[in-house]
Amino acid sequence: MSENILEVKNLSVEFHTPEGITRAVNDISFDIPKGKTVGLVGESGSGKSVTSFSIMKLIPSPPGKIAGGQILFEGQDLVQFSEEKMRKIRGNQISMIFQEPMTSLNPVFKAGDQIAEVLQIHKKMSQKVAMEKTLFLMDQVGIPKPSQKYHAYPHEMSGGQKQRIMIAMAMACEPKLLIADEPTTALDVTIQKQVLELMFDLQQKYNMSMLFITHDLSVIADIADDVAVMYRSNLVEFDTCKKIFSQPRHPYTKGLLACRPNLDKNPCRLLTVEDFIKDGVEIESPKVYDDKIEKNLDSEDTLLEIKNLKTYFPVKGGFWGRVIDNVKAVDDVSIKIKKGETLGLVGESGCGKTTLGRSILRLNPLKSGNILYKGEDITLYSKKEMRELRKKMQIIFQDPYSSLNPRMTIVDILREPMKIHNIGTNKNERVDRCKWLLEKVGLNQQALNRYPHEFSGGQRQRISIARALAIQPEFIICDESVSALDVSVQAQVLNLLLDLQDEFKLTYIFISHDLSVVNFISDNVGVMYSGKIVEYNTARNIYHNPQEEYTKTLLAAIPKGVPKDFLTV
Amino acid sequence: MSSNVSETSMDLSDKMNSMINSNQDGTHKTKSLWLDAFNNLKQDKAALFSLFIVILYSLVAILSALGIFSADWNKEVGPSYAAPSMDYWLGTDIFGRDVVAKVIHGTQIAMSVGLVSSMIAIPIGLTLGAVAGYFGGWIDEVIVWFYTTFSSIPYIMLLMSIAFILGKGLTSVYLALGLTSWVTLCRLIRSEVMKHKNRDYVQAATAIGGGHGRKLFKHIIPNVSHIIIINTSLQFQIAIKSEVILSYLGIGVQGQPSWGTMIDDAKLELARGVWWQLAGATMAMFFIVLAFNILGDALRDALDPKLKGK
Repeated sequence: MSENILEVKNLSVEFHTPEGITRAVNDISFDIPKGKTVGLVGESGSGKSVTSFSIMKLIPSPPGKIAGGQILFEGQDLVQFSEEKMRKIRGNQISMIFQEPMTSLNPVFKAGDQIAEVLQIHKKMSQKVAMEKTLFLMDQVGIPKPSQKYHAYPHEMSGGQKQRIMIAMAMACEPKLLIADEPTTALDVTIQKQVLELMFDLQQKYNMSMLFITHDLSVIADIADDVAVMYRSNLVEFDTCKKIFSQPRHPYTKGLLACRPNLDKNPCRLLTVEDFIKDGVEIESPKVYDDKIEKNLDSEDTLLEIKNLKTYFPVKGGFWGRVIDNVKAVDDVSIKIKKGETLGLVGESGCGKTTLGRSILRLNPLKSGNILYKGEDITLYSKKEMRELRKKMQIIFQDPYSSLNPRMTIVDILREPMKIHNIGTNKNERVDRCKWLLEKVGLNQQALNRYPHEFSGGQRQRISIARALAIQPEFIICDESVSALDVSVQAQVLNLLLDLQDEFKLTYIFISHDLSVVNFISDNVGVMYSGKIVEYNTARNIYHNPQEEYTKTLLAAIPKGVPKDFLTV
Repeated sequence: MSSNVSETSMDLSDKMNSMINSNQDGTHKTKSLWLDAFNNLKQDKAALFSLFIVILYSLVAILSALGIFSADWNKEVGPSYAAPSMDYWLGTDIFGRDVVAKVIHGTQIAMSVGLVSSMIAIPIGLTLGAVAGYFGGWIDEVIVWFYTTFSSIPYIMLLMSIAFILGKGLTSVYLALGLTSWVTLCRLIRSEVMKHKNRDYVQAATAIGGGHGRKLFKHIIPNVSHIIIINTSLQFQIAIKSEVILSYLGIGVQGQPSWGTMIDDAKLELARGVWWQLAGATMAMFFIVLAFNILGDALRDALDPKLKGK
């Protein structure tokens, strides 16, 4: 029985707001043994971040307040510590890594100096010693040529490198406990895999304890020893990682495990957390197929054909702003999409998949190429003809927070496309249609007169989908439409998209960096790499028989979603 | 490290907001962002008091303009240079006129200068800023060239040239201040519109077939309109101060009392120990300028969408 480095006992955190008291964390207890990793899982708003901030005592107060309980760090109660005492612990004995590597580093300081600063503050090292130690740390976290990168500014580094710098900063004082708050959520799969491996290695090497916070169970399957599951401010399950994955007890945990699309199984729809939370209802397991079922698509019925599409962004330089170079965002792409098909586009950030989507809708200017919609070349369309065509082609964006106008109510947002395209003759007719649309996407009619900021991410995405459907499109581009959502919400939205496709005979282009999601929803998949489609095949072939090296790398990087031991058994 | 901490607490308060909202789904009343902002403003006692002062001044100005207050500021009510007493709260001036009535009339002038110059500046600044930011390219370059050139002219020179054409007086003051104060607003609106036009919701409006007019007026401008309010409340007090300076220099308000002319009179009176005209005018000016400053800052805090879940 190993000693615990951290014991959280009956912790409650409250937020006092003018609207009343909200309990963000309700009476939770768990402990982190020395040298072990504990995963803290839950959806956004479940209180997992508040828990981690309470451990660091970073809860803004007011409005936040630790209402009760103890946080014992090596036997000492952090709740009673003064701010001054806490400062000596933060970054020194307990370190933290944040989700967003882009904003966690200070953009005006060199990356190396930011690591050295931590050493100078906590270890009272001289500048020279700190610099040497920094170079060693940068080497440890796998940054190539540390002596050069020491002098690089954050904007000169990639997202993965920035996260490595963050890890180096957190590791600088060799903390006893490392808190990682969704450290890989913002990263591409391949980078995510590398960062996870790095964190695991470092944890082993320094025999450090780790609290790993995530909304995605599959990420921590490989690295956590114990897992705590949080649901609506409560800790619903705390057990060893193996037990959580093999015998989940709480319905929410069961739901979390089931709602993630799996590469090996091919369910026709995803189970959601709600299915499990409902009391007394027998859960109907959806059919699972050994092979992906392939839709019967009429090969004659091509809806959209793209020929040699190129989208370049000019790089201006020189005194007169001449065009000196082009960024080839989409470079000579040709694809065909049949009616009723779902085409998945996969690739890492910056590969041009989003630009391709927007180019098809002509939201970006094109360099050259043709886009044939039902045989007609829409690149030759006039503005007016294009506006007519927009009725048929729609897009659902990634960020549910910025894609709805914050100053408009939901009914105005949904009515706008109808007004533009003269659907419905009067106000009442349109409002009726709005109600119908909300029902279709699974929202309450009361939503009509509310504003976007009153909804959660998943609900906002449903509203975006309703807006796209308002004008009866035939073809929808989903641009990373589920990437910003929690896994549990993701499953609901994916099911919704499938249902709607069935009902309205829609054709989708589904753009995502997440291969398991693309596999679940697509018939055919195109893998994109630096502006080109490097591999195109049916979803089944891509996953079972990848040809290109790049596709294989992508596939290998997907978290397996089960602990390693399970695979060998 | 310190930057991390502040970043974090921002992050957290965002999360808290969304949590509070999601917890109360279905039960709480719907709130527009404007109402939300007003509720934020209500928390700030100093801002609320400033708002009260601004409303009070506006009421005084309106009643004065309607002839209910201080209509007879020109009447001789007592001896020359009577010290403040129960009869004349702020004393009298050289002609035995009541200083309180003059201060009230000055309030009317000051508030009208603020209001009219804003009404000239807002349409110009908003239109040019929005058009420049939205269309970009050569349109933007022309407008930027225009306002940088314009803002390099000192407003006193502009006022003098306007005064030469229209004659000295209140109209010239309105025009001069209105025509020089749109530049700040234009700059702010331009940069904000540039930011918003690439947001997904504007792209979404393109995707559903919305034209330029719809995107600009229905989507972008409502999202940048808080800038107008913030800027106006700050510009208002600049206009009031400018009027005082111009009148003091003798190229502003003519033939009627304003705070500026009162201070101008006071510079000769002070030697004789007559301080009440100066005190009356400066106190009146002090409170309204301070109130607008506090209110402007509070409005910025309450309306800034960066502090809301974006």
